[in-house]
Amino acid sequence: MRVSFRLNGSVVEVDVEPHETLLNVLRDRLKIKSVKYGCGIGECGACTVILDGRPVTSCLVLAAKVGGSEVLTPDYVARTELGRRIVDAMLEEGAIQCGYCTPGFLTTIYAAIIRGVRDADSMRRALLGNLCRCTGYVNIMKAVKRLLEDVR
Amino acid sequence: MLSINLVNTYRIPQTFEYYRPESLREALVLLSTIEGAKVVAGGTDLLVDLKFRRVTPRALIDITGIGELRSIGVGDGYVEIGSAVTIQELVESEVVGRHLPLLAEAAELLGSWQIRNLATVGGNLCNASPAADTAPPLLAYDAEVELVSLGGSRRIPLERFFAGPKKTVLERGEVLRSIRVPLYRRRAGWSFIKIARTSFDLAKVSAAVLLSLEGDTVADVRIALGSVAPTPVRARAAEESLTGTGFEEAVALAPELVAREIAPIDDVRSTAWYRLEVAKTIVKDAMRRAYERFLRVGAAP
Amino acid sequence: MFDFVGKRFPRHDGFVKAAGLAEFTFDVEVPGMLYGRIFKSPYAFARVGRIDTSLAESMGAVVLTPDEVPDALFNPRLLSLEEDTFKDWRVLTKTPRYVGEPIAVVAAPTEDAAQRALEALRVEFEEVYEPLLDPFEAMSPGARPIHERIVRGRRWVEVRNNVAAEYGYSEGDLETEERRSSVVVERRFHASRRYHAQLEPKGAVCKIEPDGSLTVWTTTQTIHNTKILISQVYGIPMNRIDVRKVPLGGGFGSSIHTNLVTLIAVGLCLKAGRPVKLVLTREDDMVHDHVGFEFYMRVRAGATREGEITFGELENTVDIGAHQVQAYPLLGASLGWFVSLYKWRALRYYGRAVYTNKVPSCAIRGYGAPEVTWAVETVVDEIAEELKVDPVEFRLRNYRGRGEIFWGQGPTVRSVIRSDGVPELMAKCSELIGWKTRGDPRSKSGRFRRGIGVGRGFHTSGAGGPLSGAVIDYSGAIVKLNEDGTVDYITALQDHGGGTLDAHAKIIAEELKVPPSRIRIVWSGTSTTVYDVCTHASRGVFVGGEAARRAAAEVKRKVLEYAARILDAVSPEALRIEYDRELNDAVIFVEGAPEKRVSLSEVARTAWQRNWGSISASVSYRATVAPPSFTVYFVEVEVDTETGIVRPVRVVAGADVGTVVSPELAAGQLHGGFSIGWSWATGDEVAYLRDGVPAHRLSMTDYKIPTVLDLPDDERFTVVFASTYEPFGPFGAKGLGESASNPVIAAVANAIYNAIGVRFYEIPMTPEKVLRALRGGG
Repeated sequence: MRVSFRLNGSVVEVDVEPHETLLNVLRDRLKIKSVKYGCGIGECGACTVILDGRPVTSCLVLAAKVGGSEVLTPDYVARTELGRRIVDAMLEEGAIQCGYCTPGFLTTIYAAIIRGVRDADSMRRALLGNLCRCTGYVNIMKAVKRLLEDVR
Repeated sequence: MLSINLVNTYRIPQTFEYYRPESLREALVLLSTIEGAKVVAGGTDLLVDLKFRRVTPRALIDITGIGELRSIGVGDGYVEIGSAVTIQELVESEVVGRHLPLLAEAAELLGSWQIRNLATVGGNLCNASPAADTAPPLLAYDAEVELVSLGGSRRIPLERFFAGPKKTVLERGEVLRSIRVPLYRRRAGWSFIKIARTSFDLAKVSAAVLLSLEGDTVADVRIALGSVAPTPVRARAAEESLTGTGFEEAVALAPELVAREIAPIDDVRSTAWYRLEVAKTIVKDAMRRAYERFLRVGAAP
Repeated sequence: MFDFVGKRFPRHDGFVKAAGLAEFTFDVEVPGMLYGRIFKSPYAFARVGRIDTSLAESMGAVVLTPDEVPDALFNPRLLSLEEDTFKDWRVLTKTPRYVGEPIAVVAAPTEDAAQRALEALRVEFEEVYEPLLDPFEAMSPGARPIHERIVRGRRWVEVRNNVAAEYGYSEGDLETEERRSSVVVERRFHASRRYHAQLEPKGAVCKIEPDGSLTVWTTTQTIHNTKILISQVYGIPMNRIDVRKVPLGGGFGSSIHTNLVTLIAVGLCLKAGRPVKLVLTREDDMVHDHVGFEFYMRVRAGATREGEITFGELENTVDIGAHQVQAYPLLGASLGWFVSLYKWRALRYYGRAVYTNKVPSCAIRGYGAPEVTWAVETVVDEIAEELKVDPVEFRLRNYRGRGEIFWGQGPTVRSVIRSDGVPELMAKCSELIGWKTRGDPRSKSGRFRRGIGVGRGFHTSGAGGPLSGAVIDYSGAIVKLNEDGTVDYITALQDHGGGTLDAHAKIIAEELKVPPSRIRIVWSGTSTTVYDVCTHASRGVFVGGEAARRAAAEVKRKVLEYAARILDAVSPEALRIEYDRELNDAVIFVEGAPEKRVSLSEVARTAWQRNWGSISASVSYRATVAPPSFTVYFVEVEVDTETGIVRPVRVVAGADVGTVVSPELAAGQLHGGFSIGWSWATGDEVAYLRDGVPAHRLSMTDYKIPTVLDLPDDERFTVVFASTYEPFGPFGAKGLGESASNPVIAAVANAIYNAIGVRFYEIPMTPEKVLRALRGGG
C-alpha cells in the first residue's frame, strides 16, 4: 500500500507492506540508518523517532499507520539548532560511548525539551525507555543538566 | 514449544491485511465480515505478539483513526474515556488529573514515555494481562466498559470484563468503545504502588487504593491488585471488613485480609511466594500513602 | 605538564554517532546483497538427519548446509598459542548441542523472502537426547558425552566426563600456613550466567570483490584475528581477505572472538557468489548466540591473629555451555586474578571448565575477575570481621601492591608492580563515603536499612610480559604526516566506545605537539593496518596507546631531522619542539635562538617540495609488562526489608589508571562499570528451562538491564583518580575498562551485609532472595 507522510520536513510517498514497521520502512526503504534496531519490541529505545511531536519506538508502529503524520528522525534532529546544542552538551560531558543508543537519547531529549520539560527529574523519567549499557547514564544526565541550564 | 525459527523481532514474520477505518461503524463491519480479523490500537502488545507468532490474524483493524474513540469527556457523574486514548494522554489530561488521580498515577508508571505515546487504555484492558497497570485503578473506581457490535452495545462492570490471563468477555465482532468511570464523590486519598524488576517493566505485583475517612475511621476503602491472580482483582471482602474500623487497625488487618483474596503464581518475573508477601506490604504502603494524601487534600483550600 | 593528555576534547566520532550517521555492521549495505537467516536448532542436544532444501531452493533461496562447510574444527577466539587452543566448533553442525546452534542458513533477495525460505527448510532430527544443563550432572559417571573428541592444537584429544579443560597450581606450604592461621573462612559461591546486553546485535556483511578477494564488515573486537580465522577455516590466503573496522555497538566481551555469524556469512557469500548480509535479531543474539561464563567457586582463606593473610585456596568450576571460547585461558586468568589480589603465603588452585547443553559462554567484562574478586572480597571481609580489624585496614595490609610480583592474566605473564594508588584511593574514598560512620549491621533497625561496603580489585593493562607467555599480545600503529602537516592515524585497534582511539589521538598529539583536531583517526581494514591482537584485557590505552606513541615518536624523529636541515642546526639534538597556541601547530626551534624556528606544517611541506620523501612510521609493539590498574569501590545501599529491594544510594569509585588521558571518558568507564556490576549483583541472570530453552525467551522483555531511574545520578556518584604515573605506559597511563567493574559485585554484597547482616553467596541478589533471607528462609 502507498503511504504518504512528512519526513524531516518533506513529504515522502512510499510503498509499504502492511506488516512493515516504521523502523523497517525508514531503514530499509528510505535508507535512514540513524534509526537503530536494538530489540524490536519497544524495550530499548534505540529506534526512537518523533511521531507527530511525540517520541515513539518505531519498531512498534506499523508503517501503514503513519499516513498523514509527521516523522522526525535522529539525523534530522541532530542538525537542528536545538539538536546541535544537545549533541554539544553530550560531547562536552563525555555522554557518548559506543553510540548505538545515542541517536535515541538525542531524539527523546529533543522531544522532551520541545514539549516543555525543564527539570532534571522529569527528564530522567522521560528517558526511562532509552537503555544504555555503556555509560550508567551519569554523563548523559550531566549533559542533560548542562543543557537544561542553557535552555532555561 | 515455541519454534525459535518462526520468531523475528526485526521484521514481522507474517503478513495480514490492514485497515484503518475512520468510523466505528466501518470498523464493526470489517470486524464482522473478515474471519480472523483483530482490532489493533497502539500495537505495543500486539506487534510483539505478531513478531513472536503468538497470534496470526488475517487482518488488523486499526481503531486509532476513529475520532470518537479518542476523547475524554465528563458526563453527569462520570468521566468517559475513549478506548483509543493513549496512556500519555491520560497522564496529561486535566480531567483525569482532577477527577481520577489514582488512574493518572498508575498511567504514569506504565512502560516508558515512548510506549505511553502509543499504548492505549483500551488496549491495556483488552490485552487482559493480570499485570495491566490501568486495571487496578479503574477497578477501584468501579469503572464500566462499553462494548459495541453491529448488533448494539452493552455496558458491564470492568470487574466482569476480564475472563482470565489474556482473556476477556469480548465476543466476536465486539469492540471496546469506552470506559465509563463514575466520579468518586467522597473526599479521598489514593495511591498506586507497583513493584517491578526495573523502573521500566511489567508489574511483579501492584496495588491501588482509594480511601476515605470520617475522623480516624475508614468510611470507604477500595483495594485492587495486579499480577496476583488470573485477572486484576478487587479485594472486596477485605474492603468490607475494613470499613468502619480505625485507620491504624485497618492497616494492621489489611495485609492478611487481602492475602485471602489473591492467588499469585510463579512466572519468569517473580514467584508466588514473593508476590504474596509483597502484595501484603504494598497494600499497607498504599493505604498509608492514601491516608497522607487524604489529609493533604483536606488541608487544601 | 601536558598540552593535550588529560585535557577535555570532544571525541572525534561524537557527532556522527549522536546523529546516527556512524555506520555500524547492522547499517552496512552492499549493492545486490542477499539477506541471510539462520536455521537454529530447537533442541538442546540432538542429531540431524536429512535436510530437505528443495522447497526453499525452489523459492529462489540459496541454502548452505553442514555438508557444504569445511569439516575442520576451530575455536572462534585466537588468543592462546596454537598448541593450547581447544577446537570444538563447526560453522554449521549436524549435532546441535544447544538450543539455537546453527544447522543451516538461507539467503534471499529480501529479508521477508529469507524468513520464508528459512521456514521452508525441512530438517529431520534422527535423535533428540536429554540435555545436560547442570555442570555437576554433566561430570557424573555415565553422563552422555557432549563432545567425544575435540582438537587441541593439531591433534585429537578425548574429552572425559565432559570436562573441557583443567588447570591446577599450587605454591608454598598450605598446611603450615593453615596451622598458623587463627581464622579460616571457607565459602561456596555461585555466579549466574549473564548476557552482555550490548545494544547492537551481532552481524556480518560479506562481499566478493571483482578480483575474487573478500571484504567483510562485522561486529568484532579484533579484525586481524577475524581475518586469520576466516583464512584458517576457508583456506583463503590472508591477503585476499579485508576485514573492515566498523563501529561496535558495545562490546563487553560479546565480540572478543570472531562471532559464528561472521563465518556463516562468509560461507553463504562464497556459495551464493553474491554479497550477503547476515545480522542477528535481538532474540537470536541474546537467547541463541552466547552469554558470559557461569562460575561455581569454593574459596578458603586464613589469617593470623595479627591480621596477616596466610593462605588461600580457590576451586573453580566453570559452566561453559556447549563449546569453548577460550575456556582454558580463563582458568589460568582466574588463577591470576586470585593470586594477584592478596599476598597469599601459600596457595592452591584448581579450575575446570565443563561442557553443558547450553549456549556457549565467552568473556564478559572482566574475564572472571568480577566473580573471583567478589568471592575473595567477601571472604576477606568475613575474616576481617572475625579478627575485629577494619576491613579497609586489613586490605591495605595484605593486598599485592607496589614492588610485588603481579601475575596479570596467569602465571606466564608476571611483572613487578611499579605504580600503585591503592593507599591514596582507600584514604580518599573511605573519607568521602563516611566509612567510619557506617555502623554495625546488628545495630541497625527499621524497615529501610542502609549499609556501606567496600570492594577492591584491579585489572591488567593487556596481557604482555617479559617472556612470550602462553597468549598473543602485541599491537601496531601507523602514523603518517601528510604534506600539509595534518596527521593520519591508522590502526586496527577497535574502540568499543570508551574513547580508546581518542586517547590515542591525544597521545600522538602530545608526542608531536600538534592539536588532536589535526589527527584523523582512519577507519580502515586488515589490508591497510598492521596486526593488533584484540581490544581486550583493558589494553587499548596501555598497549595500543604506546604503539601509537612510538609511531609518533618515530615521525617526530624524522621531523626533527628535516627541521635541522631547514634550520641549519648542527644536529636534530639541538632542536626543541613545542605546541604553539597561536599557530595551533607544533613549532621546532633552536633553544636560545628564537628566530631559528619552523612549524611542523612547514617541515611537512618542505619535505614534499624538496623530494625528501614521506614522513611516516609503522610500529609493532609488545609490552613487556601488564601493570594493574587498581580500583576501589565504596557503595552505600538501602535495603527495604519488607520487599527485599536494594537501592544504590551513593557510589564513590576510585581508580588508579596512572595518567588520566581523558578525564570525562575515564569517569564514564567507572559509571558504566558500576552500572553493569550493579546489574550483575542484583538483577541479571539467564536461567534455563528443563528442555534447555533459556527462560528469557521473550528477549529483552524479561532480561532487564537498569534504566536511568535505577542507578545513582551524577550527584550521588563520585569518581576519584589516583595521582600515579606508570613508567611503562604512554605518558604514564594504564588501562581501565574492566577494572571499572571488577570490584562492584563485591562492594554491593558487602554493603548489603552491612545493612542487614546477611551475606549472599549467590548472584544475582534479587529482591526475592533478600526477602527470603530476611524472613529466615536462608
